[in-house]
Amino acid sequence: MAEDLGFIDPTAGARREAVPLAPRPEALSGKTVGLLDNTKEQADVILRAVGDALRERHGVRELVIRRKEHYSKPAPQALIEEMASLCDAVVCALGG
Amino acid sequence: MGAPVDEFEFFLEKPWSDGLPVVIPTRERVERMLAGTRRDPEEVIGEVPPLLGEATVRSVAVHAVMAGCRPEYLPVVLGGLEAMLVEELNLNGVQATMHGAAPLMIVNGPYAKRIGLHGGGGCFGPGFRANATIGRAIRLILMNLGGGIPRVSSMTVFGLPARYTYCIAENVEESPWEPLSVSRGFSPQEDVITVVMCEGPRLFFDDVSDEPGRLLAGIAESMSSPGSWNMHARTDLAVALGPQHAALCARGGLSRGDVHRRLCELAGRRVGELKRTGNWRRERALAFPIPVDPDDDDCFVPAVKDPADLHLIVAGGWGPISALMHGWSGGSRAVARTYEV
Repeated sequence: MAEDLGFIDPTAGARREAVPLAPRPEALSGKTVGLLDNTKEQADVILRAVGDALRERHGVRELVIRRKEHYSKPAPQALIEEMASLCDAVVCALGG
Repeated sequence: MGAPVDEFEFFLEKPWSDGLPVVIPTRERVERMLAGTRRDPEEVIGEVPPLLGEATVRSVAVHAVMAGCRPEYLPVVLGGLEAMLVEELNLNGVQATMHGAAPLMIVNGPYAKRIGLHGGGGCFGPGFRANATIGRAIRLILMNLGGGIPRVSSMTVFGLPARYTYCIAENVEESPWEPLSVSRGFSPQEDVITVVMCEGPRLFFDDVSDEPGRLLAGIAESMSSPGSWNMHARTDLAVALGPQHAALCARGGLSRGDVHRRLCELAGRRVGELKRTGNWRRERALAFPIPVDPDDDDCFVPAVKDPADLHLIVAGGWGPISALMHGWSGGSRAVARTYEV
């Protein structure tokens, strides 16, 4: 298309496939929820409070708490796959 | 028939530019650019985060055209991008960060000299085509293939003028010492790119010191600025001594290694001083890779936590000024590697 106008589209090669959102659970009662700490300061404090609220107010059965290696780096694939297999939903926390 | 399309305006209307007009990448121009390398145009260089657009020799050449490069600059753009994709640099984090760090390219070796990459007076620009366009090609790639678009995926609070271009050679001709690459174990004949994630240059003026001790004490003080990440996390730091300051050190009997060591020893602040400034945080101090007692106000916190994180070069023109560039905190380690010419 851009070729027709006499030049090359500089974004050719950029990924374009859409990734659908994972299905959302309608309620959290009895579910397993993952909490992912991004390692920024006090992310663990925020997540503890979220975890307590999820248990007390929403009947979450089990929490799976994990921590990234570094806040500015992606979570390792193995960690993502582990949480995806164990959890019905995952909450990520930014501290700071 | 519709109104004629102005191709420069067309490119500026798309999110394909750094805000300045680009050279339109026609097929003919891209073919001429590809003559600057022996590499196969379809060779994959890597995926540029966070969008993970695939960079090939050809798509890099497209951006080199857009940035205004000459074909002989292409090997440096390719080599620079390859260095930036090394995981230790954590380009992914910089593309998204609130901070404004930019990848500083320091290019050593004979090829940089041959193509006119400048390390002398005014090297950070403006005014030098190789410096201006090689760094700009990298930035356009980070935006178009990596998706590092401000206010879309880049959360940078201020951006940075150095994000337009940040590419220099070392002023080897006026340096009393071996170049950075040789200090890292490369031979003087090897073409080497060092990439350091850092802030823009802060100028350090000193036309008073007549011996290295006072000069280096001043530079070290400037390296220890609270709010720079060097005082709050393990962080790289680049220091470009002007040739006049380097000569003063050499006359005082200091080798390049001596200056490097001295700056690592001197630069830093005591815990008590840092506690009086904004960005001090106990957890951060406890996360340093060196032991620091956050309860001891006299405990010294060095700006350079590991000597390998200080990148000392000689650059700029004659005059009583050096430049220093604080680093980025997000777990980035500088990368130095040879590139193919």
